[in-house]
Amino acid sequence: MRILDEKLVRGDITLLSQAWTDERSFCIRPARSGVDEAWLEAALASLPVEFGSAHFALLTSGSTGRPKLVVANKSRSERLARVLDEVQQSQGVEATVVTLPLSYCYALINQWLWAHVMQRKLIMTNGLKAMPQLADVFAEQSAASVCLVGAQVRLLADGLRGRQFPGVIRVHFAGGPFPQTALELVRDLFPNAAIYNNYGCTEAMPRLTLRHVDESEDPSIVGKPLPGISMRSGSAGEILFQSPYGAVGFVDEGAEYVAISESDWVPSGDLGECLPDGMWKIHGRQGQVFKRFGEKISLSQVKDAIAQCWDGEINFYREDDPSGEAGHVLVLQPEPSETQVRGVLKALRKAFPRTHWPLRVEGVSTLSLLPNGKIDAVRLAEESKKNIYWRQRL
Amino acid sequence: MTNREKLRDLLIDVFLLEDDEFDFSLTQEQIETWDSLGTVSMAVGLEEAFGHHMTPEQAVEVESIQGIIDYLTSCGVSFAD
Repeated sequence: MRILDEKLVRGDITLLSQAWTDERSFCIRPARSGVDEAWLEAALASLPVEFGSAHFALLTSGSTGRPKLVVANKSRSERLARVLDEVQQSQGVEATVVTLPLSYCYALINQWLWAHVMQRKLIMTNGLKAMPQLADVFAEQSAASVCLVGAQVRLLADGLRGRQFPGVIRVHFAGGPFPQTALELVRDLFPNAAIYNNYGCTEAMPRLTLRHVDESEDPSIVGKPLPGISMRSGSAGEILFQSPYGAVGFVDEGAEYVAISESDWVPSGDLGECLPDGMWKIHGRQGQVFKRFGEKISLSQVKDAIAQCWDGEINFYREDDPSGEAGHVLVLQPEPSETQVRGVLKALRKAFPRTHWPLRVEGVSTLSLLPNGKIDAVRLAEESKKNIYWRQRL
Repeated sequence: MTNREKLRDLLIDVFLLEDDEFDFSLTQEQIETWDSLGTVSMAVGLEEAFGHHMTPEQAVEVESIQGIIDYLTSCGVSFAD
């Protein structure tokens, strides 16, 4: 499997087209993956020989910092790109503006591959790092789409304040919580855009469900499965899926290859349930539901309660308390006033017993984002400790 | 800041009370957030604020704010101010 450096692809996007049409398989190496070279070599060496052609691989570490190499089949992904075109009603979309790295499955499939398969224009940008350039690109469009991560909305709104881009007619969100509380900002920037909440994971390569913004006001409702995809809840409430477009295998941190067949029920990494109308509701990442003193804590529910009185970003990281019991720390962004912190605490007191309260309330002026736009959970824990607004004395 | 004010601020923070909810005559029963974890939090807070370590047994025995004042008074903390 040949390695394709994301940096080179960024300089010459035709390299990706060539690698895709080439029979040989390829792996995109992200510009800043932090993955050990020896690990990547061992991971690639562990792949079955037949993956030497017609496949591609992506490196993911998500917000956990643990490397994973996910392998997919090119033709299966092309089928997904066609399905996405249909369900996203993208027929009238002439171009897609890329603000995320193409080593990120969401941008690669929803944007690059969609444009490649459906013969549309792909417009590369330097993302949110170069706002004036991005504004110019958005302004030039007459019927474009853009894929974003929820955490980018406030940065975009700040960087493009006062501007409107009527030529962007589709805005997709994935890769994290849907920015329900910041929707007005999105609508101000893109007044003509249909907004979609996409849900999936890298193993799904990457889509499982899709919801138009108007179908629900609950950000945790992610819509119905795409045609061909089946989903169910496991015994612990974990979301499992079968997908004809999904990954065919992966190599985990221990450099051990795990095959995925079409009949396997694959965990998405989240907990959730199917509602009576067929829509799926996400209860949070598996690590975001835990027991504290025997009480089941869902950080997604805690977040919903806080969102009633705080319209900034709400994040958590996990930490054990001094007695060794599992707990969580709440991180608000931007930094809250004393009154706002009291408001948040009041909302928590009203909604939950003390077991659900955070060990601390911390604040940061800005959130560190990974290159794919997701919040860097590792840095979140390190940075936010600087500003503690409240703590449980334990 | 007097010791009464110090205690008031601490308990408002520990039990997440509103300013106008607080009263020195409140009992554990009247403070819904004074649960077992709240007792731990209160004991840690008292040690931080007044420098007196409350054993778990002593903490559980206290059932009102007046009980806290009595405990602290027995430790030599004056609430005469």
